[in-house]
Amino acid sequence: MKVAMDQEESQTRARASLADRKVIEKGDTTYRIVSKSVTEYHFIVPFDLSDEERVEVGQIFSIRDRGLTFLARVLDIQHSSNYDGHWDTAMKGTQFFDRDQIFNRVIAEPLGCVSKDGGFRKSRVLPTKFAPVARAEQAEFKFLKQVMGDIEIGSLRNGSRLVEEIPVALHSNAMDHHMGVFATTGMGKSNFMKVFAASCMRLACMGRSRFGLLIVDPHGEYLKGNGLVKGLTHLKRYREGLACYSTDQKNASDPGVEELAVSASEVRPEDIALLYEWSPPQRDALDAISRIFNSNHWLEEIQGTEGLDRMVLDGFKENTVKVLVRRIKNVLERNKYIQKRSSLANILANLQSGKVVLVDIPRMSDRSELFLLSVISRHILEEYKKEEQQERKNCLITIEEAQRVLGAGSNTSRFETIAREGRKFGVGLCAITQQPKLIDKQLLSQFNTLVVMGLGDRNDRMQLEESAKQDLSSLDIEIQTLEKGEAIISTLDIPFPVPARIHRYEDYLRRLDKEEKEEGLVSRGGFKPFLE
Amino acid sequence: MLDKSRLSAVAELIRDHISLDSLDRYCAETGVCRQDFVVIDPSEFEGEIFAVDGSNVAVCSWSVANLNLIRAGYAVYRGRDWRRTVITYDDIFLADPRICAEQFDPYLEQIFGLKGIDLKESDLERLSTYFRELQEYIALDDATGEARPGDLILYDGSFDVFEPLRGALLTVFERAKEKDVALLAISKSSTLPWGEEISLPFVQHTSYAGSLMAPGVPWYLCLKDKKVDHGQGRWEGETYIVRFDGRSDHAFRVDAPSYLEDRIGSVLERLAAYSCSSECLGYPHALFRAHRDIRITDQEGGFLRLKLMEMLEEMGLGQSQVRILMQDFHDVLEMRPGI
Repeated sequence: MKVAMDQEESQTRARASLADRKVIEKGDTTYRIVSKSVTEYHFIVPFDLSDEERVEVGQIFSIRDRGLTFLARVLDIQHSSNYDGHWDTAMKGTQFFDRDQIFNRVIAEPLGCVSKDGGFRKSRVLPTKFAPVARAEQAEFKFLKQVMGDIEIGSLRNGSRLVEEIPVALHSNAMDHHMGVFATTGMGKSNFMKVFAASCMRLACMGRSRFGLLIVDPHGEYLKGNGLVKGLTHLKRYREGLACYSTDQKNASDPGVEELAVSASEVRPEDIALLYEWSPPQRDALDAISRIFNSNHWLEEIQGTEGLDRMVLDGFKENTVKVLVRRIKNVLERNKYIQKRSSLANILANLQSGKVVLVDIPRMSDRSELFLLSVISRHILEEYKKEEQQERKNCLITIEEAQRVLGAGSNTSRFETIAREGRKFGVGLCAITQQPKLIDKQLLSQFNTLVVMGLGDRNDRMQLEESAKQDLSSLDIEIQTLEKGEAIISTLDIPFPVPARIHRYEDYLRRLDKEEKEEGLVSRGGFKPFLE
Repeated sequence: MLDKSRLSAVAELIRDHISLDSLDRYCAETGVCRQDFVVIDPSEFEGEIFAVDGSNVAVCSWSVANLNLIRAGYAVYRGRDWRRTVITYDDIFLADPRICAEQFDPYLEQIFGLKGIDLKESDLERLSTYFRELQEYIALDDATGEARPGDLILYDGSFDVFEPLRGALLTVFERAKEKDVALLAISKSSTLPWGEEISLPFVQHTSYAGSLMAPGVPWYLCLKDKKVDHGQGRWEGETYIVRFDGRSDHAFRVDAPSYLEDRIGSVLERLAAYSCSSECLGYPHALFRAHRDIRITDQEGGFLRLKLMEMLEEMGLGQSQVRILMQDFHDVLEMRPGI
């Protein structure tokens, strides 16, 4: 057997190896999937991208891989390189020579994949290694148009870029499953609510509304706005979709605004109950009122000497009853709208016909607002509990600073009842708060639509992440870095939490005022904000 | 038994001699003085820099022959931009004194026009080292063929090479000179010694001396007429000690063929302009890239070893047979998995 290579063979090999020289040239090493799993994609991008090209947390990228287009949202961006260890801290200087060896590693969360037929589904497969990655553009988001609802609130946002062609719209049919609007001060809660209300007014005018929206506004900002900031009455074209009630004489003198009145017979002891901290005997006395007095005249009766006697006769101490009466008098003193006539029937009728009902109570105290909200919402729930009428629309009750009434241990079981049971009767809550951490976790888990607009407090974010129906935990950095007017919308009918920029109300107003009444917003697809 | 007093004596020796307290003795014994440190003014240029390197990893051995994986090639830069890396050899090499001439000669003949090499007395380790060096010279020659006048070609190592291969290097020198290409060998670990009582590290001490005599600037020092054995006369060229960047603590041995003697300053100025990368400050960046692109990692060696074992198994050899044939008994003693 021949062991050694002979001369001829060696020469052949030498020639072959010389001809076999391999040349490695510059190639596209970035923007390709390099790892890592079905639940987390990694790709690399140049470390020195221009300002326009910089990758941002929250940005959505697409990965085209044969018949599928995967979508992934950026969770984090890290400095990285092909060098090991702390090479960049051990060396001096800042002049990088090998730009292909130093890069940023982008960590992205898969959102799902779009098939050739345009259908979207959660992805159970991994994109092929080195599949190309690109910033998702309008075409990749087209499928979202199909899953958006009818209440337009903004446009899709990819990082800080706006995808104007893709409107973000909530579903009317999800509103009885409650909605939460969470943001710290100045992030655009009021603007969001006005845009939301404007879309509801528009739907009401078009006869497409599926629920009535109740807004109780203690700050007097929704009715007429303030200076350059417009109010709901400025939406002339769809003004018919709005019913206004005000405790302010001046506002109530405007045509189309009715002076708010609540009949004393519509106030219940439990409405008083939520305004104060009560001792056990005082609470007993409150509970006994409905038994001892006529339910329609108890307010009047208990204030008289005969009322006091009846309570004492029933075993309550005089002092206890006196505290009760004093507090009731205070409530009546502060809430001058408690009269003989009542607006509640009208309010209810407007809500049931699918209108936006604005109850304007400027300069009213926190307690008075709560009291009024309690009276109205109890009335609504009682009426909705009655047998359903054919034409009746659902109802969404807005609560500002919702932590006051939905907090763990709060004595406001009415709102808790709506949160827990309202859905059965077509009544939903729209809870607005800066501090979701103070809202009862179980109640929060009943909220199927969340509008998150920037929360700096880690505990607030954690509370939402733990209670949300969709997984928001990976969006922690993005929620922290949201800017004014930006939001994450999480709702069950849209397959993943959607980054959005809420329309600026004044821009939206001008567009709505100009549009043809029958023109469908969503089918038309977004709008470009007017230039000032 | 370890004699602590002997260890202590060595420690004293290091303290007294290797750590250089004063430059007087260094200057007196080496002939180096302050004026010998010539400041380099880095100057960018339009040409390309070629950096040649090689790598060699042992795959397996059966006492009388070794199997190695060898790779050689070069990286090409224009300014700070990497252009390409060319791999001129990437194959296994069977280190067997009986057949090695047949493996060397075709390359020597076809590329350098040289005949015959006698390596029968060389040990197996050296054989693969020589072959890797030969492949590096072939890469140097290939780079010379690609280069244009004014370009720089760097070699990772020294030009004071093993005698049988000196002829190959001379051919490369001639071709480079003819093409007006500057050829430099840069050594990361030089063994140049100085001193009369004990061998002291010349490059390190010169680096230290340079940091005192020419602080904060790049410089070079020519070893011509200095009292240091740097292989004068064994090859056609001159040796320099160079610090390429004033912020770096390291200086390197640089060999240059004699045809560069009168313009070494301008050549080093060009090289210094591209030895300031953050990735590897003070070292010619092209060589840094060549090292990273051409090196064979332990994983590659391990993978090839596994492939070989698989083939042997397919050919009917059992693991015990392979072990008997190839296992290094040191691996048994050290309880290492080995082959």
